[in-house]
Amino acid sequence: MTLTELERVDGEAGNFTVSLRKHPRYVDIDKCIACGRCVEKCPRQVRDEFNRYTDSRKAIYLKYPQAAPLKYQIDARHCIRMRGGRCAECEKACPRGAIRFDDSEQQVEVKVGSIILAPGFQPFDPFELGAWGFGRFRNVMTGMEFERLLAVSGPTSGNVLRPSDGKPVRKMAFLQCIGSRNYNQIHKSYCSAVCCMYAIKQAMIALENNKDLRISVFYVDVRTHGKDFERFYDKARQKGISFHRCRVHSVEPSESANEVCLRYMTENGKQVSENFEIVVLSVGMETNFETTLLAERTGIELTPEGFASTSCFAPVATSRPGIFACGAFTGPKDIPLSVIEASASATAAAVRLSDVRYSQSHTRQFPPERKTGEEDPRIGVFICKCGSNIAEVVRVRDLARYAETLPHVVFVETSLFACSQDSQELIKKRIGDEGLNRIVIASCTPRTHEQLFRETLKASGLNECLVEMANIRNQLAWVHSSEPEAANAKAMDLIRMAVAKAALLEPVPAVSVRITPQALVIGGGVAGMVASLELADQGFPVHLVEKAAQLGGNARHLFRTWKNDPVPSYIETLSTRIREHSLISVHLKSTVFDAEGFVGSFRSVVQKPTGNVAVDHGVTILATGAQAFKPNEYDYGLSQNIFTSLEFDKLHSAGDERILNGLNFVFIQCVGSREPERNYCSRVCCTHSIQSAIALKEGNRDRKVFVLYRDIRTYGLREELYRRARELGVIFINYEAHQKPNVVMKEENLEVIVWDHVLHEPFSIPADVIVLATAVVANPETKELAKLYKLPLDMDGFLQEAHVKLRPVDFATDGVFLAGLAHYPKPTEETIAQAQAAVARAVTVLSSRWIGLDLVKGRVDENKCDCCALCLDVCPYGALAVERERLDAGAEGAAPKQKLVVRAAKCKGCGFCQATCPKEGISVTGFSYRQLSAQVRAALDCG
Amino acid sequence: MSEWQPGFEPKILAFACNWCSYAAADLAGTARMQYPTNIRIIRVMCSGMVHPGLVTEAFQAGADGVLVMGCHLGECHYQDGNHKAKARLAVIDEMLSLLGLEQERFRLIWYSSAESERFAAVAREVTDVLKKLGPSPYRRDASEYADKGIIQCL
Amino acid sequence: MPVTIAAEVLSGCTGCEIALLNTGDGFLKLLDRIEIVHMPLLMDSKYFGPDEGSEEIDIPRSDIGFISGSIRNREQLLLARTMRERCGVIVAFGTCAAYGGIPALINLFDNKDLFRRYYRTAEATDSASSPCEVVPPLLDRTFALDEKIEVDAFIPGCPPHPDSIADALDRLIEGRLPETPVQSVCDACPAKREGKGTVQKIKRFLKNARYQPEKPLGEMRCLLEQGLLCIGPVTQAGCSGKSGCAPRCIQARVPCRGCYGPVRRGGNQLLDMLNALASNGIDTKNLPDRLSMLRFSGAHSMLPRQVRKPSS
Repeated sequence: MTLTELERVDGEAGNFTVSLRKHPRYVDIDKCIACGRCVEKCPRQVRDEFNRYTDSRKAIYLKYPQAAPLKYQIDARHCIRMRGGRCAECEKACPRGAIRFDDSEQQVEVKVGSIILAPGFQPFDPFELGAWGFGRFRNVMTGMEFERLLAVSGPTSGNVLRPSDGKPVRKMAFLQCIGSRNYNQIHKSYCSAVCCMYAIKQAMIALENNKDLRISVFYVDVRTHGKDFERFYDKARQKGISFHRCRVHSVEPSESANEVCLRYMTENGKQVSENFEIVVLSVGMETNFETTLLAERTGIELTPEGFASTSCFAPVATSRPGIFACGAFTGPKDIPLSVIEASASATAAAVRLSDVRYSQSHTRQFPPERKTGEEDPRIGVFICKCGSNIAEVVRVRDLARYAETLPHVVFVETSLFACSQDSQELIKKRIGDEGLNRIVIASCTPRTHEQLFRETLKASGLNECLVEMANIRNQLAWVHSSEPEAANAKAMDLIRMAVAKAALLEPVPAVSVRITPQALVIGGGVAGMVASLELADQGFPVHLVEKAAQLGGNARHLFRTWKNDPVPSYIETLSTRIREHSLISVHLKSTVFDAEGFVGSFRSVVQKPTGNVAVDHGVTILATGAQAFKPNEYDYGLSQNIFTSLEFDKLHSAGDERILNGLNFVFIQCVGSREPERNYCSRVCCTHSIQSAIALKEGNRDRKVFVLYRDIRTYGLREELYRRARELGVIFINYEAHQKPNVVMKEENLEVIVWDHVLHEPFSIPADVIVLATAVVANPETKELAKLYKLPLDMDGFLQEAHVKLRPVDFATDGVFLAGLAHYPKPTEETIAQAQAAVARAVTVLSSRWIGLDLVKGRVDENKCDCCALCLDVCPYGALAVERERLDAGAEGAAPKQKLVVRAAKCKGCGFCQATCPKEGISVTGFSYRQLSAQVRAALDCG
Repeated sequence: MSEWQPGFEPKILAFACNWCSYAAADLAGTARMQYPTNIRIIRVMCSGMVHPGLVTEAFQAGADGVLVMGCHLGECHYQDGNHKAKARLAVIDEMLSLLGLEQERFRLIWYSSAESERFAAVAREVTDVLKKLGPSPYRRDASEYADKGIIQCL
Repeated sequence: MPVTIAAEVLSGCTGCEIALLNTGDGFLKLLDRIEIVHMPLLMDSKYFGPDEGSEEIDIPRSDIGFISGSIRNREQLLLARTMRERCGVIVAFGTCAAYGGIPALINLFDNKDLFRRYYRTAEATDSASSPCEVVPPLLDRTFALDEKIEVDAFIPGCPPHPDSIADALDRLIEGRLPETPVQSVCDACPAKREGKGTVQKIKRFLKNARYQPEKPLGEMRCLLEQGLLCIGPVTQAGCSGKSGCAPRCIQARVPCRGCYGPVRRGGNQLLDMLNALASNGIDTKNLPDRLSMLRFSGAHSMLPRQVRKPSS
């Protein structure tokens, strides 16, 4: 339901009635084939909001080329017809009659059990504030606009050009924290969490396009707290991008219209003014009016900053039961965390609905498959005119006549729209009547339509792999319309290629794997406990393996989350629920020491104090946590008044007198993090120290509290804590990695010497207590488990997910998921969200009894494969294995036979094996060497 | 510049990865971009599934140019297929020199699925380069060699 | 009536013929079923008639023609064509005939290089002019038989295993063509395969394999996985004959050098091997002795110089 708005929510969790308003699209999406003829004809130019108004579109349009559904829509505000004019150009141009000028608004009611809100954010509009010359100078733009300039599909095709005169840029600047961390002017105290990283990314891309470009980034703190971000930041500096710790307050005109002037203070305290050709404002995120309205209509609470109010322990639950929120709506965040929350909210929404799973779904039935194995190929070629999309460039009748002359072709037919319902029926009929056993469809792209034709084949009793498409629309008629003769010849080539390949297509039986509806969760910290409970609450038995004697993991050392929720009682609740849950078997003092199998059916051996137990499970969740770094600098261990953060928390809560009576406290940040040997940010320590600093100050206003930091990284809504700490008089002093503070042990007390950037001289701070904000380091035992389940680790020893952004809890290996600190340092609520996300992904496997495997798979040809094992390690999924006969059989010197096997459940059909094999011993369905080679030869018309 | 016959139209084969260049080529169509007809696209699931043998086979069968198109490094749908394709580049280069063909006849190019404009631009550029380079010697002699079974065996 | 056989040696070393004799008893058993009508190595043949007066080469008609060696000069080309004309079935006997073999290593150089280096420079002999009288005019490179004449059957090997020769003769006498194995050397190799992923670099050919001499071959790790350049995977099987033993070089615990030619007709040993190594992340740019992979199949796979355009 696109173009749809929520109006009202009635009822309660488990039984909501939602009233929706569907706005008209004025295009029938069942009929629109996204051919774009309407756009060609539409006379109305409109400025394109997607490209940030840097170029134009038509009144009938696709918002962007990858839009889903790929259907056009009419912008009624600009359409001549909708505004009372007489135009009907699009209606005339549309070959399918999809235009509906009479389309109207509809009210829809749906009954649902849970609701997930993901309205996103809007970028801050600097125009409001009238600062930074935005709207005044053409070369001052927001990060979103600059992003479009960098996009190859954007208005300048990815070239960084000055908007003022279209010339290449030589010098540019990024201004950070525009619309974020600005309480004084706009009452937005929060950090938008993503802008540092996107500015650095944009700077790097711009630099890649133009090696001579000089780029300066003006920042307050560089917040590269995500996985692998710190290294990226380092790389940016190495590439010569300069970073200035300085807030630029005004952008002034310069002599040239193509430049603006920035005034700023250097590190050495010198006032400088410098000209730049482009100034990018790294704008932050904010909640827009519609989102506020949505919150009102759904009756959920918002934080003072305008984000959905959630607790750290239920990070995706809103204040109203049954309604969940994710993404930037719960606070500014980047893609990985948004994706995690999206899955997490799916889990949260599903727990309540698990009883009614599949009650509203249907499975399609197909006739039994005809055996075609021994038959000679009988190819049917169906050529689509696509209205006139293809027919007006290519002579379809000639094409059909040509197709009849090709080897194995026994039937050729043309149709107006091969994808229409009646054409599908006709194809089905022809397959039966003509005894066709291979089908070639010459029409549009297989990327959108192959699945449809596969279904047609299945419905006709043919194996779905026996169809091949020739892309004569997107890759022919549309791109060669100016050369119809050459296009016609090429169309023949494409059909010949498709027929040549089709003759070699082979039926592949559908393969499915039985699912053991049970999970193994390794690690009994917060991530593991949450994952176990959420799985068990949805009815799946769980084995929870914990190496320690009790559950809780690192959270046992924590007291409060940054939102001040108490951790110990939460842990207690979780452990009690787990102990009492009938579906969870807890294995304490246990480790997993052997594992085999694949998605749906793993078998792992758990080593318990009482002996070994084999556990069968369909999925595995790794939540093996991390450890606190033990520092070897700042005289740690030499004084009874120097602690790590966790040690300090314990003493603080126990009322230790060193802390109770202490008056001078120094926190040193980045101890062990952001160092050459551990080049990542531990993400939690800034917030943690500031929280402790606030507690100290609140306990006694006379205490002097210093925080020595490199960059304060209270990202997102945590920034409020930083602001509060400063209000309370906590003193923050910046230090650089090459000029670390010095701890001096005096007889009476301690002293910390740090370089003062204001006075430009060393500054000495007497300290009663020094707290070291130590790094979170990978758990070394994760390495062994990673080996068992064949999972990759990153260079810091954390588990490496399948895709940093898009698949943050998956591995390339199916059926194994991760959550918590084993992935990367993170605070409690992110750990919980990730655990819920892992559960959502795990349930996609566990909820079916069988899992159908993709048919594009590697297959070993036993007659050809000699098991040279060259492909074995080329497989990125560990899907290949060598099976070996026992050695003792056979005569002296006789070779024990070795055999290559494909573990189909692990194979993803990438074909790296095939491209490695010297003799076609292994092939990927539908893309075998022979088939590709047939296409090559057919393309060159060479037998 | 070559002195080969004017009006020579190079035959170019492109192995295009389903997840990037093939999609970009589709998108170029949606946007009605125009590029020369010389290029013939063969859809593959990943640049890492293209055996260099297919490339040499194409050249021996008379292709004037061959392209392998994959996702930008780090964006492979199957982890590191494009790195594999890259590692095979040296092998293909070596084969080209053994076959006596110019290195310009083969290219490994990275795309994202959004880079339709670039797809069209590259198609234009490659056609241009090959036109200047002239026909592949295998193309001129293809029929003659085919008779003697060399094509199968080279 | 016995089957008539003609045999010619072109650019080769006659090792194949010695292998034929090595078929031993098997060969003797065949003798009453065959009649050798032409075999310069064993019997006196007059190419230009009994008195050497004819203008055209004469070889007696026969059912089967065995040709070993590759084609390097015009005389050999003429002989090959005549054999084709006079024999019912032509068998490319041995790797030289089938794939060019060792003589095809010259395809790394063109004739100009050859003459300059071996006839005109002082380092070889007294500098002399290029030979024109004793040596027949050279072709521009070395060819395998099937590049110049139609070939019906191939018995590769340097030399072929006597078992395969006996087997092939058996079939030919019965009027069938010998079967060429489709397996590679790995098929018969018992060495343990666990993946090539740990190999970073290929060692020089001189390095020895790691193994325990008292243990059977099946206990030895695949030589390629030990970092030795074993081109068994791209080489046709057959070198261990019908014995069921491990491939010959592997028995000696040295890597396969590829003497049976490419496993796939039309395959290129260098290409397939380099590709497989590159796919496994092994640095192929600094591979020692890389062209050695074409040591035996240089006719089809190496340097068809005549198609190279002038580098103007």
